Amino acid sequence: MTSTLTPASRPESIDHLLNSVERYNPANTEVLEDYLNTQCQNDENDLAANLALLKLYQFNPPLFNPSAVAKVLIKALINFFEADFNLCLYLLNEIVAAEPIIVTLLELKQCLDEARFADFWATLRAHQAKATDSALAQLIADDVKDFDRSMQRTIAEAIAMAYQTIDLSLVSQYFNLDGAALQHFIAELGWAMDDSQVVHIPLNKANEVKTTVINESIQFSQLTKIIGHASTA
Amino acid sequence: MHKEQPAEVAPVEGGVHTYPNQFSDDEDDYSVSGSEHGSDADAPKPVKIHIPDPVRNFLTHLQNNVYDNNAHELYVAYEHNFNRLTERFYAKQSWPHPQYIGSMMNDDGIFLTLYRELYYRHIYARLQPSLEDRFHSYENYCDLFNFILNSDGPVALELPNQWLWDVVDEFIYQFQAFCTYRNRIKRKTEEELYLLKENPQMWSCYSVLNVLYSLIQKSNITEQLLVSKNGGDVVAAAGDYGSRPLYKMLGYFSIIGLLRVHCLLGDYTMALKMMENIEMSNKAIYTRVTACHVTTHYYVGFAYMMMRRYADAIRTFSQILTFVSRTKQYHNRTYQYQGLNKRSDQIYALLAMCVALCPTRLDEHLHNYLRDKYGEKQQRMHRGGDDAVQTFEELFQYACPKFITATSPDYDDVLAYLQRKSSTKGENSSAYNDRNSDEGSGAESGDDEGDDANDAVAAPQVSDPQRHQTTVFVNEARYQLLIPTLRSYLKLYSTMGIEKLAAFLEIDDEQHLRHQMLLFKLRSRQKKWQSGSLLEGEWTASSDLDFYLNQDVIHIAESKVGRRFADWFIRHINRLDDTMANLKKSENTHAAAIQAAAKQMTLTGGTKATEPTAAATGTTASPAATATATTAPSTTA
Repeated sequence: MTSTLTPASRPESIDHLLNSVERYNPANTEVLEDYLNTQCQNDENDLAANLALLKLYQFNPPLFNPSAVAKVLIKALINFFEADFNLCLYLLNEIVAAEPIIVTLLELKQCLDEARFADFWATLRAHQAKATDSALAQLIADDVKDFDRSMQRTIAEAIAMAYQTIDLSLVSQYFNLDGAALQHFIAELGWAMDDSQVVHIPLNKANEVKTTVINESIQFSQLTKIIGHASTA
Repeated sequence: MHKEQPAEVAPVEGGVHTYPNQFSDDEDDYSVSGSEHGSDADAPKPVKIHIPDPVRNFLTHLQNNVYDNNAHELYVAYEHNFNRLTERFYAKQSWPHPQYIGSMMNDDGIFLTLYRELYYRHIYARLQPSLEDRFHSYENYCDLFNFILNSDGPVALELPNQWLWDVVDEFIYQFQAFCTYRNRIKRKTEEELYLLKENPQMWSCYSVLNVLYSLIQKSNITEQLLVSKNGGDVVAAAGDYGSRPLYKMLGYFSIIGLLRVHCLLGDYTMALKMMENIEMSNKAIYTRVTACHVTTHYYVGFAYMMMRRYADAIRTFSQILTFVSRTKQYHNRTYQYQGLNKRSDQIYALLAMCVALCPTRLDEHLHNYLRDKYGEKQQRMHRGGDDAVQTFEELFQYACPKFITATSPDYDDVLAYLQRKSSTKGENSSAYNDRNSDEGSGAESGDDEGDDANDAVAAPQVSDPQRHQTTVFVNEARYQLLIPTLRSYLKLYSTMGIEKLAAFLEIDDEQHLRHQMLLFKLRSRQKKWQSGSLLEGEWTASSDLDFYLNQDVIHIAESKVGRRFADWFIRHINRLDDTMANLKKSENTHAAAIQAAAKQMTLTGGTKATEPTAAATGTTASPAATATATTAPSTTA
């Protein structure tokens, strides 16, 4: 859940490009596409750079590259906690949003947004099995490294926000994992499992809730008039 | 008829805009051809143009002050006289064509450029601009910005802030209007389509951004803002150009302009990034011009809303609405009053949606106003269901900016379509000339739809940015429809089983409820601005209601807001202060009156002169005592 607007992994040259009017230069499309591929390979995410790429497509329709757009959206999908996916969508248009690969991604995004994680995996697997969606399947298999694991990690974060203890069967559905793989992943997350198939999630800021009373705090600026009066009186 | 159309963005030298001074100056009536370009096809029809004396005087006055750089006089002329004369003479027709004015006043310099800007702006505001007007207005902006940016050294021109803001604001408005206009392909004649196709540089996205970025760069405004924030040499940071108010303000307004342009293009991250060196405070430069102040908050808040940062959006909207309601009395006589009113209604609509998506306690005044104005809509959003979706859509359509597409439609496609269509129908149906229903203020976007049913030939697909942005936003809002109901049940318990909640909500599928709970949890956490640039923020819980799940048991905790005393005390201390001040004032006048009376009494031999004054000095004791004390002297006097 760290901000992806200025990731530490961003090279200086890209940073310079994004912070100057060079970001509008169509000649830089390739630079940003290359950078996107690097992100996909190294499991990084630089939303600002990817939005700049979408903007270049917006301004220069001939440059439009559907597979790059799909990759940007897949990156945003992994980070579904934040509004990344919508921010990308806002830069596209109706015609692009109607492309089959984008429609599939929208479907997947809806599952995640509604926290229907089991449905998300089912939908994804169904599309991967269909030959018509081979473009998406290929992207996920070849270009975006460790897509499944990245998704599982984000989903784990979501679960950890709401649950202190949860049935193993649910976790299995949400991660689309079972058996030793599931055990292994749970251990990797630092979660514990007891004998009755219940997973214990360590306390964090979000799953530990307390009743609090918010007391007002008075700003100095609220009192300026009174103090002003006091000095003139 | 548009052979003279320049091929480049560069302004036209001579030719089109300069006219020989062929009209005698002592005549009020000019007879010139009706069309600026005096085409060979239309025989130039002499038109009698009468320029009334007040208008003539106004223009002379304006011209003198433009060249004298008298910003104060220009302010009066611009803020008041121009609008008064518009109401009186040009409420339903355009101001005299710049061509006549140029010849009449023997001017083809910056005054005429500024006049032309006013002339076209007036057409956009009150009449229907033709394609020709749109092109000419664009060229005129190029003239103006070339003059400012590409003269030898900084120009001496000085204009009031309001005027400078209006220039930048109008430039973007006309750009937006043009983008909307060119997307309405079904209402174009073949000739118009050819003109659009052959002039792709007109109002192109790149050239508009270029102007705004150039103004920012020339004025060193970024450096100036950094120095004023972090300290340093202000003069050195400003440089030759930036130290002049004209450049500084244009640069500053261009930042706000880009905030707006990026929002119109759907790039909300970039919009807020533009503002990274501007602090949102009541001392910021943008507060110097009310329209700019309101615009800034509207777009910043809107961008936050689209980024799902509702808490920040609510804060931004609340600030400006409080400001507008407090200062309303000062605005109701200015020409911007109507615009301001509409904008603040739109902001209320956005606020209503944000509060529905992220329940928040509002300032009491805003809360009451919102309930009066959108109470019914708020309830509908709260209740959920299709009705709520529809309400979100309505409010969004009403309150959102007019989104644009960065590029033009494929005119070749459209032309081919027109030809196919006319060949199938055997008639030329391309000439939709009902200009009056076209464009409007750029408000209605779906009005082309009606034609579709009759079309045998498929029309080229044009994407509608308005519809696209609405769909994405409303889909987002849709996810949260059950949350208000969920909240209202959770509020009643500290622990409850998930089955029980499912029964209350009449949800059969327990899994679905689990999903909704998780969704609630995820959506009740937002990035919230704490300090620094607008894009920064920390993840915080935005809801006063929080919970966690232990397998099937929900544990609920609610944070309560303690009673607030400060506001009440501050208000009453201030009120007391005011009462005291008033008393003192009346005391003084009373004392004077008493003294006068006493004097008279002494003259007539009276002796009670000291007594009432003593009573009057005793008034500072307590508010309760004052009430009686104030009446006391008056009875004695």
